[in-house]
Amino acid sequence: MRALEGIRVVELSIAIAAPTCGRNLAFHGAEVLKVESRLYPDILRLLGSGWARTEAHADTFIDTSPYLAEFASGKLSVGLELKQPAALDALKRLLSASDVFLTNYSTPAVRALGLAYEDVRAVRPDIIYAAMPGFGSDEALPYYEYVAWGPNQGPLVGLDLLTGYPDQDPCGIASIAVPDHMAGIHATLAVLAALEHRDATGEGCCIDLSQFELSIGLLGPFVMDHALTGHDQGRTGNRDPLAAPSGVYPCRGADRFVAITVDDDDAWSALGRVAGSPPWAVDPRFATAAGRARHHDELDELLAGWTAGHGADELAAWLQATGVAAHPLSDPPGVLADAQVRDRGWFQVRPAGRFARDLSSGQPVHLPDAPADLARGAPTLGQHTVEVLGRVGGMGDTEVERLLASGAAFGPVAPDVVLRRPYDAYLETFGLVGGEA
Amino acid sequence: MAPDRSAGAGPYAWVRIVDVAGLASAYGTRLLAALGAEVIVPEPPDGSPLRRLPPFAPGVDAPEGSLWWAYHSQGKRSVVVEDDATLAGLVAGADAVIEAGPPGTSEGLRAAAPPTTTWVSITPFGLTGPKRDWRSSDLVAWASSGVLHSVGFPDRPPVAPAGPVQLAHHLTAMYAALSVQLALRVRRRTGRGQHVDLSMQEACLALAPETGVPLYLDDLVPRPRPGNRRTVTRPFGLYPCADGYVSFLVLQPAHWRAMAAWIHEATGDEGLLDEVFVDTAVRWEAAEYVDAMTEALTATRTKLELFTEGQARGIPCSPVNTIADLRLDPHLEAARFWRSEDHPAIGELVSPGAPFRVGSSWWSWDRAPLLGEHTEAVLGAAATATATATATATVGGTP
Repeated sequence: MRALEGIRVVELSIAIAAPTCGRNLAFHGAEVLKVESRLYPDILRLLGSGWARTEAHADTFIDTSPYLAEFASGKLSVGLELKQPAALDALKRLLSASDVFLTNYSTPAVRALGLAYEDVRAVRPDIIYAAMPGFGSDEALPYYEYVAWGPNQGPLVGLDLLTGYPDQDPCGIASIAVPDHMAGIHATLAVLAALEHRDATGEGCCIDLSQFELSIGLLGPFVMDHALTGHDQGRTGNRDPLAAPSGVYPCRGADRFVAITVDDDDAWSALGRVAGSPPWAVDPRFATAAGRARHHDELDELLAGWTAGHGADELAAWLQATGVAAHPLSDPPGVLADAQVRDRGWFQVRPAGRFARDLSSGQPVHLPDAPADLARGAPTLGQHTVEVLGRVGGMGDTEVERLLASGAAFGPVAPDVVLRRPYDAYLETFGLVGGEA
Repeated sequence: MAPDRSAGAGPYAWVRIVDVAGLASAYGTRLLAALGAEVIVPEPPDGSPLRRLPPFAPGVDAPEGSLWWAYHSQGKRSVVVEDDATLAGLVAGADAVIEAGPPGTSEGLRAAAPPTTTWVSITPFGLTGPKRDWRSSDLVAWASSGVLHSVGFPDRPPVAPAGPVQLAHHLTAMYAALSVQLALRVRRRTGRGQHVDLSMQEACLALAPETGVPLYLDDLVPRPRPGNRRTVTRPFGLYPCADGYVSFLVLQPAHWRAMAAWIHEATGDEGLLDEVFVDTAVRWEAAEYVDAMTEALTATRTKLELFTEGQARGIPCSPVNTIADLRLDPHLEAARFWRSEDHPAIGELVSPGAPFRVGSSWWSWDRAPLLGEHTEAVLGAAATATATATATATVGGTP
């Protein structure tokens, strides 16, 4: 039995922040109802897959994005066009039977739909209402109406200024939206705390999670420093505040690197022995962490001269065998092939709404008494509308039929079409087998 | 086993956590402390390693001057522990223990915990698997997750995301907090604690899907490091402006139409008004053109002008702020976001406020403790706690 078995969540979400929270909750057993629109689909659905941009997939393209496999797996998709009063009523039926309402729609949009905290509380007095807009829910604040997306929030709080080498323009974090993920994880913590509060007091609550404020919370020591001294933290590349050397070094092969952090003098001696005790390994200037930090540029060149002649995998294995922190810079095939990743079963293959089987990531919190698991992959758009409106909303067949006929609700297109991803057979290469229903 | 506590009535006021994991858990247990939990940090007589992490308050050395300690230990209690028996006594009275020793090294200590205690082991790669004994760091964790390979300019080696921030540790710390929350919930049903195996590599992998594996499998096309703009479409990423950088993220059709109109007004260029560019894939194919026109717009304007006017036009954009910029930001000022506290060794400390707001008064923030500040208060009560824990364990009870 999973930790959140019996908890029901209604998720009105877009992109990554709220879906990350819903995903964590689903992994641990909550039933997550993702309420979706055909007129305004989640951007993750609109991204689709490159191979599905064909006439043959015109109907099913919207179910094919690999992002969906990551951020919607294990959830139930309920198709409701909430601008229609009948659909809003139906949603409120679902909310009256739910524990948590989770949204990262903008606050003006949520209010325009009639789904402010007061509205939801009216149908479910002890609801845990978690809103995670970019700039908070207080309409008196200057940026209340500003549009916010996770990838803009990293730059906004300077995470992108802190990424890169000091002698070069900031390179930013263009491959992941750290604030989106952090917001999703913080929202998970908030919802769990709210469940605790509800269990103790019988009260629900309203959680207002501003991505802007939350992301600044990651910068606490630098904020303190600036207030005390006026110093503004700059980019430090791959250096470490306490360990030297620390860096990314080139290896044999195209675009191959190893990350190394030497965190004490013993590790430095060990690295020198692995390198075959060249003169630099016993240079007294490098004997202490302070000395190595002072001569870091020179050390980087010496180390790169050694690492460039070896494979990243062998270097990491040699260094780790002597107690030095090191790892190849894994690229996607490298992550899939990583013996550790495979041994711990991080990637999972499950039957999904549109696919015979689909791949998604695992969950870092391993509870032996209540193992996290997702029984299925991502749903097709509207896959569970009829089932959920009946079972959770308590609606009869006639009522559901009427909603579908009026367009207030919708079910899936081409429900019988089951696809296989182009890489389906390729999964065996990484020991990822089974998964089909 | 509710700890005796005067301040704070947060949802976890009944929970006592012993945290010996250092930076790997500090960010997360700070939040649990602010939500009411009693978080005890056992320290050696010369202080936790976190007390030696720069930057320091001017003129205040370790153990009290580290601003990492000052921030990440807010609301916690410091207990100087000189021998294993004392540490075992603390563990015996804890609802949850978080540690980050190498796999296997905490087994002796874990034997001191009653069966009702949640035990969270944070390790670089997990307690099982061929790399369970491998060591790590923030940088090495990012390397093992695939994230590091995806960040940076293509002509330089990859670079850690916001390296100075130690994000991989904070991510792991958040999952440590979730581990405690979830395990305590399960304990209510089972009456038992459990041993949670939390891998720093997996904490980073959980954030990594955007960087590669699912997308790579979908087309088997390797993606080069994108520099400071995304490979999805354009405009998407950092653009230089008159006084720094501005960030654009234009995905939705409405956002693009507003952007195209703005570019047209600012530059006279009509080409991007063509409806074909509403497709994100077309804008990706024409990235050079879209970027050149976007830069023509941004080059002559300041980041605040671009932020204000872009947002007025409904376009997702933001300035790329320094901490100095943030401290002057009118929204944060109006939200009374910043908090101030008085620290006996440092003086006034300004720090970010709570990461989210709740209608109820959950949050309570105390300054970070001085070294050993709570030794007497906590150890004086330890004997009682041990007795209670043993009794609870015997009857298999729950709090």
